[in-house]
Formats: sequence, structure tokens, C-alpha cells
Amino acid sequence: MRTTVSVPASGDADLPARFGAGDPDSVRAVYQTYGRLVYSVAYKVLGDAGLAEDATQQTFVQAWRAAGTYDPSRALGAWLAAIARRAAIDVYRRERRHRGVEDIASHENALVTAPPSAEQIYDVWEVRQALENLPGQDRELIRMQHFDELTHAEIAGQLAIPVGTVKSRSFRAHRRLAGLLGHLRSEPVGTTAAGTEEGRHHG
Amino acid sequence: MADDERIAYLSGDTSARLDPAERAELDELRGLLTDPAVWAEPHPGLAERVVGAVTQAASAEPVPTALPVDGDSNRRRRPRWIAIAVGGVAAAVLLAVALTFGLTSHPSQSVEYAASINGTTLAPDASGQVTLTKTPSGWKIHLHAKGLPRRDGGAYYEAWLKNSAGVLVPVGTFNQLDDVTLWAGVAPSSYPTLTVTRQLVDDGPTSSGKVVLIGVTHRTH
Repeated sequence: MRTTVSVPASGDADLPARFGAGDPDSVRAVYQTYGRLVYSVAYKVLGDAGLAEDATQQTFVQAWRAAGTYDPSRALGAWLAAIARRAAIDVYRRERRHRGVEDIASHENALVTAPPSAEQIYDVWEVRQALENLPGQDRELIRMQHFDELTHAEIAGQLAIPVGTVKSRSFRAHRRLAGLLGHLRSEPVGTTAAGTEEGRHHG
Repeated sequence: MADDERIAYLSGDTSARLDPAERAELDELRGLLTDPAVWAEPHPGLAERVVGAVTQAASAEPVPTALPVDGDSNRRRRPRWIAIAVGGVAAAVLLAVALTFGLTSHPSQSVEYAASINGTTLAPDASGQVTLTKTPSGWKIHLHAKGLPRRDGGAYYEAWLKNSAGVLVPVGTFNQLDDVTLWAGVAPSSYPTLTVTRQLVDDGPTSSGKVVLIGVTHRTH
């Protein structure tokens, strides 16, 4: 899948430089913008929340150590995603080495299969980023439908709204998502929810 | 419009008219939307953990953008007795720390998961905490919540653990949520989502789908 979500502007051109200097406020700001995306990459590789948190922490420490090599013309998010994948694979190898494959429970699928490819990581990153840019109500509806695998009728029951309303909201939410991901032919790529009446929320 | 057909398919209308290539492309996106990695939420405390780790690294090492320092040659010029003295002091400190922890810490390292659980639209004022501790018998779940009334007379609450495929494992039923202990035979690493539903005896043992609390657990120890 090839997607085209634009990285949200941080509004702080000096952020990478201040991050490189280890300024706690800038580290916090970079985490606020990219922490969940980095965590998604780590979770994709490791499939375990605790290990993904370890890898996320390592990603930011390694990014800080490599800040001198960061090219400001490159998107900070893409740079962090590459570091996150490497950090997660390091954790993956450490777990396999220390615990041994035979000691890894069968349900920990991520540790008994090969780590995902860079392209798979990129896809997760882009979809996660697009979802983060949707209004909270849209994101929640898409989550209920796909991740929770609820039918429109079940969603209507949970939200106590008519099924028809669920269908129209679902259509609108998916249109916004597809617009963000470039899955529409006619809608301009990079359309965000910022200009919608609902604004941006995090649910 | 072709785009309307694509969006209809994406939003669940499988009768939408699409060619196989379009359908495959959208199926790929639909598959990604079921991926737990896309929806996984880090523990709220991770932000401070990350900030602490980076600032600690920054205080312990030269700023990475600075010119490299020839540390090796400095070390070579350092008198040997300083290294021995510093090493001795460090060893004494480590020994003291090790003894202190040996005397005061718990002998076992328990694996623990936790989550904040939030009320859904069915119970917007509800909230709580859950911890899951690994024991030889299974996972011991401790649930505290507020903002929900007691249910009796054929009505009750039921807690579930759910995996990324939506498979639900029941972990216990109860009447009120202020202090509940439950047990699970599945690991939260595979079944990370905890939900609480409103149930009625007359409706049978399957989930009613009326979720009042939900939270995604994360490993804390």
C-alpha cells in the first residue's frame, strides 16, 4: 500500500536541534507528536505492550544520540520510524536470545515469526498517522467497525443512535480516512480534518 | 461515482461494484485497520519515562552535536591509582546497593499489566483501574471502578478480555465494581483489551455487547 499522509507541522523549526541538545521540553514535545506513532511501529514488530514500551524508550534515546546526523530536510517522523524499527528489532533479537524460542509462549506470535518488513512498518505508520488526524468521533467509529468488528446495528446499539446515522457517519469517516491516505481519485491528497466542523479530537 | 463505491466498500458495503484490483487495494487497508499495532496506545506514563531516559543520557554523555572528544587518549593519561580508587569506591557503592535491595526487595519478580478503564457512551461517568498479576494459577485481576450502580435481581456485570481478532474470553461476573477480584486463564499480552458489559441472566451467557467500561492493558512490571 502506498499512502501519502503529510506529517503534521510541529510549528517549531528548532525542535530537532533542541531535541539533539537533550532539552527536556523538546524531548517531551517530540514525544507528544511522534510517541504514539513510534509505539505503533514497536508494537507491530514485537506484539507486546511492555516490550513495545522498552523499544519506544530506546528509540528516543538512540534518536537523541544520532541527532547530530539528522538531516533537517528529511521528515522527522520518517527518521524516527526507521530508528523505531531498528530499536524494536534489537529488542526482538534480545528477547529471542535471552529466552530461547522454545520458552516463548505460542501466543507471542510476534516473537516466533520474522519481524515485519520496512514496507509493512511504513503502512502501519501511515494509517496510524491518518487516524490520528481524524476527528475523535470518526476514529472511534472506524475502530468499532474494524478493530472491534461490530456491525452497524451493534454500533448503533452501543452509541444509542439510529442505524442510518451510523451508516452515514461511517461513510463520512471512511471518506475522510481515504482522503488522508490517497485512496480517493478526486479528493485532494493530504486533506485533513482540521477544516471540518468537528475539528480535531483525540478519543 | 467510483469514489463513492470505494468508500461504500471501505465502510462495510460488500455489494459495492469494484474491479478486483480496487477491491484488493481496499482490502489491504481494511486489513490494516484491524491491526492491533494501528490502535495500540502506550501507557500514559511512557512519556515521562522517555523524557527521563533521554535527559539522563544527555547528562551522562556529551551532547551528540558537539565535536568528538578524544576520550581514549585522556583515559590513557589518567594515573592508574585514580582508576583503582574510583573503581574501589564504585564497587563499594554497588555492593551497598545490592545488599540494600537484597534485604528489602521482594524475592520474586511478578509480571504485571495495568490499565485505566473508561466509561463508554453507555456509562460516561464511569472510570476505574485494573491490574493483572501473573500467578502460577493464572492471571489475577483486580478491578476498581466507580460511577456504575449495583446490579442485582438477574442483572449483573461481566468482565472480558479481548484479543485483536475480537475473540472474547469471560473472566468473571459480579454485582458491583468498587473492589473486584477476577481470574483469567489467558495472557493480557495476547488479550490486551479489558471490557465490562451489562448482562441479564435471561439473555444467556454470551456477551450482551453493552460495554460500559473499556481499557487496553499494558505491561508495567
